[in-house]
Amino acid sequence: MVLKKSLAVAGLLMTMALGAQAADKVLIGAFDVGPGGNPQKFNPLTASAGFTWYNKYFNTLALYDANFERISGDLAQGWSVSPDGKAITFNLRKGVKWHDGKPFTSRDVKFTLDLVRNPDLGSVFAPRLDSVTGITTPDPQTVVLTLSEPNTPILDTLTNLMIVPEHQLSGISVKDLRNADWWRASPVGTGPFKWSKYEADQYVELVANPDYFRGRPKLDKLINRYYKDGGAAAIALQAGEIQFSYLTMDQVKESQKNGAFKVVSGASQVLNYLGFNNAEPRFKDVRVRQAMMMAIDRASIVKSLYGGQAVLGNCIYTQKQYVAGDLNPYAYNPAKARQLLAEAGWSSIKGEPLELLTYYGDQLSKDVVATLQAQLADVGVQVVPRFLDGPGFSRVVDSGRFTLVFAGGGNGPEPDTLAPLLDSAYAPPKGLNRMRVALPELDKLFDEGRQETQAAKRPEIYKNICRVTNAKLPWGPLWVSHRFGGIGNKVQNMVWTPAPGGGRYQDNAETWSIQ
Amino acid sequence: MPAFLLKRLLVSLPTFLAILALVFVLVNAAPGDPVDAFVPPGQSLSLEQKEMLRHEMGLDRPLPVRFGLWLAQVARGDLGYRYKDGEPVYRTIMSRVPATLMLTFAGLGLGAVLGVALGLVAARRPHGKLDFALSLLAYLGISGPAFLLGILAMYVFALLLGWFPTAGYATPGDGSWQDVLHHLVLPASVLSIQFIAILMRYTRSSVLEVQSQDFMRTASAKGLSRTQALLSHAFPNALIPIVTVIGANFSALIGGAVFLETVFSWPGMGTLFIDGVETRDYPLIMGITLFMAVAILAVNVLTDVIYAWIDPRISLR
Repeated sequence: MVLKKSLAVAGLLMTMALGAQAADKVLIGAFDVGPGGNPQKFNPLTASAGFTWYNKYFNTLALYDANFERISGDLAQGWSVSPDGKAITFNLRKGVKWHDGKPFTSRDVKFTLDLVRNPDLGSVFAPRLDSVTGITTPDPQTVVLTLSEPNTPILDTLTNLMIVPEHQLSGISVKDLRNADWWRASPVGTGPFKWSKYEADQYVELVANPDYFRGRPKLDKLINRYYKDGGAAAIALQAGEIQFSYLTMDQVKESQKNGAFKVVSGASQVLNYLGFNNAEPRFKDVRVRQAMMMAIDRASIVKSLYGGQAVLGNCIYTQKQYVAGDLNPYAYNPAKARQLLAEAGWSSIKGEPLELLTYYGDQLSKDVVATLQAQLADVGVQVVPRFLDGPGFSRVVDSGRFTLVFAGGGNGPEPDTLAPLLDSAYAPPKGLNRMRVALPELDKLFDEGRQETQAAKRPEIYKNICRVTNAKLPWGPLWVSHRFGGIGNKVQNMVWTPAPGGGRYQDNAETWSIQ
Repeated sequence: MPAFLLKRLLVSLPTFLAILALVFVLVNAAPGDPVDAFVPPGQSLSLEQKEMLRHEMGLDRPLPVRFGLWLAQVARGDLGYRYKDGEPVYRTIMSRVPATLMLTFAGLGLGAVLGVALGLVAARRPHGKLDFALSLLAYLGISGPAFLLGILAMYVFALLLGWFPTAGYATPGDGSWQDVLHHLVLPASVLSIQFIAILMRYTRSSVLEVQSQDFMRTASAKGLSRTQALLSHAFPNALIPIVTVIGANFSALIGGAVFLETVFSWPGMGTLFIDGVETRDYPLIMGITLFMAVAILAVNVLTDVIYAWIDPRISLR
């Protein structure tokens, strides 16, 4: 018995010694920490976040570059749009294999798109594919989408849609597929890494896919570690236990002098706004909304609370090409705000204090909300903050029984991303326009932008949307903040940038390495 | 003994049902449901899609009906499925039990041994310097919330000193028992702090009370040293209140573990429970509640049995 044990120990030691000789290149990161993450949810077709991780083992048809300037092919080599804009033909990459060795073909693309459009799956992408009337596969390398009307933003949607294998999933009913074991036990993709194992609440391990179409990854293993508490992940990053994590601004400040990692930052592409319930009678008069904008010292908030790491927005867009030059800047002017409120007869209509709902629970947001409350009170608008978690917030706002929210909405890279939140055709219960915005001129402009197939002509349309939202203030636009990630000093070639819901850009994970 | 156990079980049953009903009502009263939790607030499903999902999950039925259905299901030995990913609740809970038991019992063991030992030390010379110092530490331990101490401990012992890993159950790719033990030390120690503090105070006062009794004077009269008298006469007689405190604090310990598991990313029932609450995963929340209630009940019965064992005057009827 003793002999057996010592033999086992000796064997173990030898294995460890061998392991040390041919050291595996392993990168461990907390890829699902922060607002872009979707920890331990593995069905990418029902997800609205976590794409950074999904595209380590799945692929999409198209992807943005890391600066979010243009979309280029991933599983698709390229595509062409018909002159009337109602058909898009995708040419697929040749020689791509699924992780189980079967060839990837146009049938898989059709299967995935049909799956997403099936209401039984409950996918958030389904409404964005409403204009698709047909999907044909003339040959294994070609997919043709026919549309009821031109739809330029559909390419943006495809940067989110992971293509899944028909031969693995066609036997499972769509209802069962939503939560099938397959996603967390043995998913098969086409990406640079292959699924290896999942330890619940601990980590997911992927191994290099030697047959990846861009070449075998330099890393042998990529591990996604789960942290229920983002603070613990930041400490683990400083201690060198992990090589990547999302970081809050406070964590960045605390760790400025560390020698373990470097901080990368970028615009979050999430517009923070003061959401007015447009059906609320007290907000009917635009002067009330203008006064509230002028009561808020946004420049100081960005400077002192966000440490300058945010960009002011005077309309719903903040990307240069969509921001018109002739906007009302709503500069801080409490005297003017009081005057506007007096003109609108605020003292006679104000009623009960306005409840300001938010789902943000971090300290920075709490400080922001407290500042908003104080500055609005200063001009005579009484606001009472109410903090809810995500599900609670959704329930209250869906019901329509609310007045004011402090929230965020992705405003890029595709400007049409905001259409479902502001177009009256998407009014609840059918859609997501939860602020009950109803501005016919805005609806018309969004339709124009969506149907414009010439890239050069689109910015002018969205500049007009910018002007309308600046003048009419269906939302009170505030700012777009920066977000941060920390990449360990031992890591080479890693590309990361914040994006709403994470991922969606070409990060060339096959070239990532570690010393 | 069997009659006693049966009686205890029957007496507990109404309490048990009341706990379950209360938790069921409370989790359902929190705004938002699993469908709302399905997607983040910024980008959501339309109300129409949500209503369809609600109907499918049976969430559109009246609350009492749903509670009744759930009880009937549990009576058949089925805890249902998680809304989040469709995994069976029973299997999910069972896979987290070992980690939680390991953490809880490590905290309990460490706390009991150190708490009692320090209590005895403090009682040896009451109102001395050592007693005073220990009392001060105990107050700090009792008033410091475990999650705060957890982050502090992580900062000092994992980051600054580098003695222990920051968080988690095992190093990915390792997972040997030494590795797990190495990960266990920090959370278990933090978990035990409050317990040590409480137990130390109780042990001290309980021993001091016993020391004023006649038989203690007899013990010193027959020539036993202070320490000998303390260990062989005072301590055994002071055990009943100590065991009560250990038993009664077991539930508090489990409660502390819930938050501490989150801080240390410990893959146990606490982490699972918080995840369940965040996603409004009713079957999971109810399953864990049921499990915890059973565990606490079992510990209470066990405490009664131990009473009878350490004090023959108590009989279980």
